[in-house]
Amino acid sequence: MQPRLEAEHLFKVFGRRPDEAVERVRKGADRDDLRGDGTTAAVIDASFRVEEGEIFVVMGLSGSGKSTLLRMLNGLLEPTAGRVLFDGRDLTALTDRELRKLRSERISMVFQHFALFPHRSVRDNAAYGLEVQGVPRAERERRADEALALCGLAGWEKAWPDELSGGMQQRVGLARALATDADLLLMDESFSALDPLIRRDMQDQLLELQKTLRKTIVFITHDLNEAMRLGDRIAVMRDGRIVQTGTAEDILLRPANDYVASFIQDVDRSRVLTAAAVMDTEPRGDEADCGCETAAPDTPFTELCALSARLTHPVAVLDAGRTLVGVVPRQRLVGVLGDEHGEATACDRDGGKVTGRA
Amino acid sequence: MPRLPLGDWVDSGVNWLVGHFSWLFDAVKAVMEGMYDGIDAVLAAPAPLLMAGILAVVAWWLRGLLAGLLAFAGFALVDSLDLWDRAMSTLALVLVATVIALLISVPLGIWAARSRAVSAAVRPVLDLLQTMPSMVLLIPAMLFFGLGTAAGVVATLIFALAPGVRMTELGIRQVDAELVEAAEAFGTSPRDVLWRVQLPLALPTIMAGVNQVIMLGLSMVVIAGMVGTGGLGGAVNEAIGQLDIGYGFEAGVGIVVLAIYLDRVTGALGTRLSPLGRRAAAKVPTRAWSYRPRPAVAVAGVAALALVAGGLGVLGSSSGTSEASGSDIGKGKEIRIGYIPWDEGIASTYLWKELLEERGFKVTTTQYAAGPLYTGLATGQVDFQTDSWLPTTHAEYWAKYGERLEDLGKWYGPTSLELTVPSYVKDVNSLADLEEHASEFDGKIVGIEPSAGMMGLLKSKVLKEYGLDGTYEVVDGSTPAMLAELKRAYARKQPVVVTLWSPHWAYSDYGLKKLEDPKGAWGKGDGVHTLARKGFAADNPVVGRWLKDFSMTEEQLTGLEAQIQKAGKGREQDAVRTWLRRHPGLAGKWAPVAGGATESRAAG
Repeated sequence: MQPRLEAEHLFKVFGRRPDEAVERVRKGADRDDLRGDGTTAAVIDASFRVEEGEIFVVMGLSGSGKSTLLRMLNGLLEPTAGRVLFDGRDLTALTDRELRKLRSERISMVFQHFALFPHRSVRDNAAYGLEVQGVPRAERERRADEALALCGLAGWEKAWPDELSGGMQQRVGLARALATDADLLLMDESFSALDPLIRRDMQDQLLELQKTLRKTIVFITHDLNEAMRLGDRIAVMRDGRIVQTGTAEDILLRPANDYVASFIQDVDRSRVLTAAAVMDTEPRGDEADCGCETAAPDTPFTELCALSARLTHPVAVLDAGRTLVGVVPRQRLVGVLGDEHGEATACDRDGGKVTGRA
Repeated sequence: MPRLPLGDWVDSGVNWLVGHFSWLFDAVKAVMEGMYDGIDAVLAAPAPLLMAGILAVVAWWLRGLLAGLLAFAGFALVDSLDLWDRAMSTLALVLVATVIALLISVPLGIWAARSRAVSAAVRPVLDLLQTMPSMVLLIPAMLFFGLGTAAGVVATLIFALAPGVRMTELGIRQVDAELVEAAEAFGTSPRDVLWRVQLPLALPTIMAGVNQVIMLGLSMVVIAGMVGTGGLGGAVNEAIGQLDIGYGFEAGVGIVVLAIYLDRVTGALGTRLSPLGRRAAAKVPTRAWSYRPRPAVAVAGVAALALVAGGLGVLGSSSGTSEASGSDIGKGKEIRIGYIPWDEGIASTYLWKELLEERGFKVTTTQYAAGPLYTGLATGQVDFQTDSWLPTTHAEYWAKYGERLEDLGKWYGPTSLELTVPSYVKDVNSLADLEEHASEFDGKIVGIEPSAGMMGLLKSKVLKEYGLDGTYEVVDGSTPAMLAELKRAYARKQPVVVTLWSPHWAYSDYGLKKLEDPKGAWGKGDGVHTLARKGFAADNPVVGRWLKDFSMTEEQLTGLEAQIQKAGKGREQDAVRTWLRRHPGLAGKWAPVAGGATESRAAG
């Protein structure tokens, strides 16, 4: 199936003679080589595909080029080289007018600092995209109110942005993006400016909405925890390049390099991992034969721990057809949490002390 | 370094423009004067207090009850100072200049905000316009547009343009980039980004620019008054020219009232217009003094007052009577007299105004500085003026414009130029005595405008003849400054030597001593000539003949001047009338009508 969005070898270079710079990068020059000439390679050779209904998270620290990458996906920035295909249409080949039409109807965006228009009421903000499309007032207000209700802001239509808290403002931003019924949602660090608790609320709400709306979402963040919570797949960027693309578990369990590995140290594994990721996939076959509780492949890690604590033997993992697909021994749970993948060694009683290994 | 003839280039450039683009300037002038006349007619039509009421309602609507009351009080004050018509004409001038300035500066500011190249190109031009002394721009403006409103508007406009452009550019540039990006991300076209996001958010800053434009425009009206725009600026200039402190202050107060009103009203207009400002204002609790009527009520109020005003205006104009009489030679023909605010100029100008009006002409008199007056005559803006000192004092003007002027002859003379000291300064009776008393006078001769003919003569000839070159310095300044210095020194009985001429009222006010000129360095005295524009005498043969035959004795002139001085500012023509009544026969002699029908009228 054709992916909803595809990036092919995207480059973005700011500064003088960008094409020349792209050639140099292709031949192996890195960002620092270019910086000497006053040119900045913001995005280098980025390629990925985003399937319909998927949340694709681009994770990277500031300056990694993730925001630049996002702005090439809706044509706000023109790639120096490479193509962006949206439903198979090459954005770089569109005229300005076609591109604006596409942005107003099919792609919408949510911003880090909300970017609400302070001179418009909440309703008029939510209706902005529809107004650009030329939808008649009555209809656009109805659709804006629906979108606001969807985001939990029913009753606030007549308020003004500066009367709302940050979280509520971002709900307006989300409602503005949803009101146009666009297929692709670009979210630029949309929750980064919010308090941790409100950020969690918003993440939950986004996941909740996504269950029913099934939008295609590209979400930018610098927070790996957020990336892992939200992302069906995650691309990790560093210095303009995508260094790894994969699911949360791929990245957590199989980091592509030391850079990614150093990142995941801070991640709360118990939140990300599920039974499928930690189980021993070569069970003897009889672990589920007793009448004890069992787990499913998507059982979260914390629940697995609780289960394990109640059982005297490893937890059996059964799939939807009640077939045994793996077992989780307690030692494995502890090992994953401590990032220890080796086998346990028997202690030497004559040797004296047991030393913990961190 | 070789001398760069920049001035010559500018000179020839201006001449070339005048020669080749006069059609363009005429068109621009017609538009500006049309706008000005329209606005001025509307503002001046209602009775002053009624108009004050309308302006007060506007202030009430925009700022609240207290502001409305103060506005009314301010305008009532202006009216009570007898400056109403002048204030309205100044207001009209400022409004025209502001509207045109905004039509130019806002689009330019928008353009500059969108293009760095434009911004970079516009900035030095704005700097030039804003810092170039306005007098320097006034003269070319006058050559292009002639004397009067258009030149005044242009001078005001040029000065007021810069803040409009700057604030518009700033306002748009400071709109949050993320908001612009958000608009673009939803597919907004560049034009709609401007209209839906940038302009509404930049509006408070742009309105601050509008406010600046108006304020700078007002500050410019005094200078514009020098080219005959009239209004409060003209009043200030007249007051300065005649050293009339009280009148100058009154006119100044009028300008201040206008300035404060316009400042507050445009400031409030900014908050009314911008959606954010409206919301902020709505949050402030309403009190009695800040109560504002709804726009509908305010509009209704203004409309009602305007209707009343319109009704009264119609009635008023129909009740005007014409003063037709048997000696109606002019039949309402218009004659424009220009004058320099020197006493003999004022006296003879109002004398002729009275005489010509008696004979059925419609006469307008306008005060100018000497330079603009000659320019106006040469370009046909002014019909005649009575105060040309030839051949010496105004030699430069004659040399420059003489070909385009008609000399209707001398009506008074001889005049004399001299250096003068107060009579309490002993031992100095002649120019020859000055050298040894240099230290007494601090080595200074208090002069007048450096452009004046007598200043040239003093520096190039008189000082040399008496060997005063090294010992004295001539202080350039202005006639009012010279007179003020004389007044100050006279009050303290300090020694002072000033440039002065006869006839001058200073000789009757102070005890002064003209320094003798044994070597005749000042030359023979000038005659006071009447100069007309080319073709005036042919167009008005009767008036031309009257003016050619006109002459006054010293006794008549000083008597008339004294009468005018006594009557006070604004009553010049009454004084002339009184004086003519006391001297029966003169009117008939100066402006004879066949059959002598006017003799009795002038006497009565």
